Amino acid sequence: MEYSKQDLKDLYDGKLPWDKIKEIISRPKDDDRFDKYVEILQERMKWPDRILLPIGEHLYIVEKGGERIVKCDCGHEFGDYRRNWKLSALIFVRDTREKLEEIYPGIRCPDPNLCEVREYYCPRCASLLKVESVPVGHPIIFDFLPDIDAFYRDWLGKPLPEEKEYTDMSSQVTMAWRAKRA
Amino acid sequence: MTKRKGIGDGGRTLKQMLEDNRKLLRETGCYAGITQPHVLRDDPVKTELFHSRMMSSLIAGRETCKMVSGSPYVREVAELCMGLYTPEGDSVVQSTGIQVHVRLMGDNITWMIENNYEEDVGISDGDLFLANDPVIAGIHAPDLYDMLPVFWEGELVAWVCTVIMEMDIGAVSPGCMPTTAVERGADGLKFCCEKIGSNDRIRRDFEIKIEISLDLADLFLLDRKGAVAANIRIREEIKNIIGEFGPDYFKQAIRELIEEERRNQIARIKQRTVPGRFRDVVPFEIYMAETPTSWLPAKKDVIRLIPIQMDILPEGRLVLDFDGIGEWGWHSFNPTPKGLYGALSISVVQTFSYDGRANLGSLLPCEIKTPPVDSLFNPSQIKKMATANPWPAAIDVFSLWVGMLGTAFYMRGFREEVFNKVSGAGWQLAGFDQYGAKRPMMMGNTGTFGCGASGCFDGVDTGAWIATMETDTGNWEVYQLFLPEIFMSRMLEPYSVGYGRYRSGLSMPTMDMLHRLTVGIGSGAIGCAHDRIIPNLGLFGGYPGGKRNTFLVRYHNFQDLVSKRLPLIHEIGDPREFKNYKYGDVMYFNYMPPTIEVKDKDLLVVDNTSPGGLGDPVERDPALQKADLDNGLTNLDITRRIYCIEASYDGKAKEWKIDEEATKKLREAKRKERLSRGVPVEEWWQKSRQRLLKKDIDPLLLEMYRSSMKLSQNFTREFKNFWGLSNDFAL
Repeated sequence: MEYSKQDLKDLYDGKLPWDKIKEIISRPKDDDRFDKYVEILQERMKWPDRILLPIGEHLYIVEKGGERIVKCDCGHEFGDYRRNWKLSALIFVRDTREKLEEIYPGIRCPDPNLCEVREYYCPRCASLLKVESVPVGHPIIFDFLPDIDAFYRDWLGKPLPEEKEYTDMSSQVTMAWRAKRA
Repeated sequence: MTKRKGIGDGGRTLKQMLEDNRKLLRETGCYAGITQPHVLRDDPVKTELFHSRMMSSLIAGRETCKMVSGSPYVREVAELCMGLYTPEGDSVVQSTGIQVHVRLMGDNITWMIENNYEEDVGISDGDLFLANDPVIAGIHAPDLYDMLPVFWEGELVAWVCTVIMEMDIGAVSPGCMPTTAVERGADGLKFCCEKIGSNDRIRRDFEIKIEISLDLADLFLLDRKGAVAANIRIREEIKNIIGEFGPDYFKQAIRELIEEERRNQIARIKQRTVPGRFRDVVPFEIYMAETPTSWLPAKKDVIRLIPIQMDILPEGRLVLDFDGIGEWGWHSFNPTPKGLYGALSISVVQTFSYDGRANLGSLLPCEIKTPPVDSLFNPSQIKKMATANPWPAAIDVFSLWVGMLGTAFYMRGFREEVFNKVSGAGWQLAGFDQYGAKRPMMMGNTGTFGCGASGCFDGVDTGAWIATMETDTGNWEVYQLFLPEIFMSRMLEPYSVGYGRYRSGLSMPTMDMLHRLTVGIGSGAIGCAHDRIIPNLGLFGGYPGGKRNTFLVRYHNFQDLVSKRLPLIHEIGDPREFKNYKYGDVMYFNYMPPTIEVKDKDLLVVDNTSPGGLGDPVERDPALQKADLDNGLTNLDITRRIYCIEASYDGKAKEWKIDEEATKKLREAKRKERLSRGVPVEEWWQKSRQRLLKKDIDPLLLEMYRSSMKLSQNFTREFKNFWGLSNDFAL
């Protein structure tokens, strides 16, 4: 089972007719999808760094100078993929009724005493990268930490040249912030 | 003394078979120790015939049951399912229908085996067993499991099971899932794998017990007869299949079907996801302080945090961990560890195993780590508690889990597979109905949620009811015969969606007016999970749907309104104005309604919202928004405010026109606004940290965090690490 790159481009661009999308949903999945997906995305980027894993509408884990970093399609770099990229974003928090009602008017509005809706923007292109609705005081969620080496080595059969330790390094960021304060 | 010969394979007891089976799985990692499946692979055409014959028999049994049953929940909503199980209780094939019970039905069988039913109770050809106790296995008490053994030449070779959700099990009022019930007895009748008949006949004394105990005894007994008829029909067809294919083939093939599915599931996980750690969180809200209860410790408001971590391991297994979850409480919302597998089952079938081959093998690569003892998901006092409503927490957890999988599918390029669902509210009642009978009334009309956005198209409107893929709630006119109410309106609600580059589907509030009801009480049903905190269901810049609501509207003078042709409520309309309706009182609960008096001509409103959108709303293709405007699925307020699209209505052409230049300007302005409003996370972190140090957050949340910290050192450490709090700091 495989699809042409053009079909997949149209699928991702929302241009494929529904009957074709339905067919793709219903049929067995295509094994070469990831390769074609990355190829399509890579062709669209203005920067040369190799995409290892797309992790959102604008964000990619890329290989750059022996490092693996999170990068926005606009070119902004968020740092090592093992540190939660949200910590390097701009944040706007809807924590009052007024701010929440801009999105959720009237009876749709959650309780600002309990709920805050956090919006994370790319500092360069101002794309809205993630909306996070959590109880007030909850730590920022690290949505996904991929085991990239296992993925390439064990699942794709194409091991990456330099393996990195699979570990969450986000606390380094907040520890540095605390140290600054102290 | 000679050892008694068992009823299982080779004269073994079922208990011995169960132990042998578990040992083989432990030792080889393969189901039943089948390291080299061959029977099915040797002849694929025969395999397909074998499987489809069994599947057909189950689906035919399901239709039989629907014909016998008198309950609209069975006949219209079709919340029932049939399954074939190995002698040990392992799922082999499921019919169409609600896929929650793939493993739960089998867990009841396994429990009977572990509890010596073969010797102490006896298991013979034609014996009828009934269960509905979530303490043994199940998600909530209204789900009844009818189980029938299949014998071949004196040996028990399989089980047939049917699950049906009942509208009445004798629970305290109101409804079959009383939300205010906190003690076990309040759940109604419980059947702990009880033998209710033999020789294919239900015992008369059992029927008498039901006739005396239940208001809706006729429906309950017709459902039992439907289930028994279905099970017998399936059993006879299974015996035909055994005769045709041979008992040896049957016994090996049913096990290979499980092992092959286990392998296929791992292959699907590896093909469609990415290994790594996924995280999210559900805040579960329970407001009981103002609610009348039978047990005083239950009268309090609490919020419980449910952190979810899914690890996809390099070997293709999924491990779910709820470490950090808060404590249990005296309420009916505590799921059991086994019950969680019900929510996992239905989610797995909708995301991975939708080819008709779902069985135990679909679940074997998925592990739920046992939640901490005395947490919301593992209360040690469970035998003393009501178990009517564990669904809401389970639905919310697994909605986020489906979102996690959606993230993984998206990363692999399978954007068409991204979707989501959400929990919601409903009403249930008790009172005298239009026929003068006092009884519980479960309103089975909650299936009106929009589906979460896909990665390449908008979510399906009213397309995401978790319980069954058949999202149609059935023929509502039948409900009007069954319940004392009039169906006033079903309209797609533009403000219910989760906005995004692709939006979620629209939900459809239900508005039902009580008609010819006397002495009524009502309360919320399902729901309860996210009343004041909206669930975190937006993906990649999409927003979660807004707050869902439950209302009761009491018209000031209904007859007068009708005679003067003044407006009744038929839609939510502008959410800023809904509560200002001037011809009646809009009772707005801000959380799931407690048990309250309801009156004839009251309007019950269930205003569910949808899961989440996907992607930045200001990147939405204006052509999609134009189509929504033209179709009446959205309005200019949302179009401008959320999507930054300018449009105007062309009365002559009878369609909306997009102003591309103005849209471009609106979007540029929005991006500038974001850059000016947004602050570096560090700045926000410093302020928020100070707030925490002063404990300047709602007491409900302080208690919520304390409860999680009490049960988990990991949670405590991570929370304090994130906020840079000292080890001795206490919230």
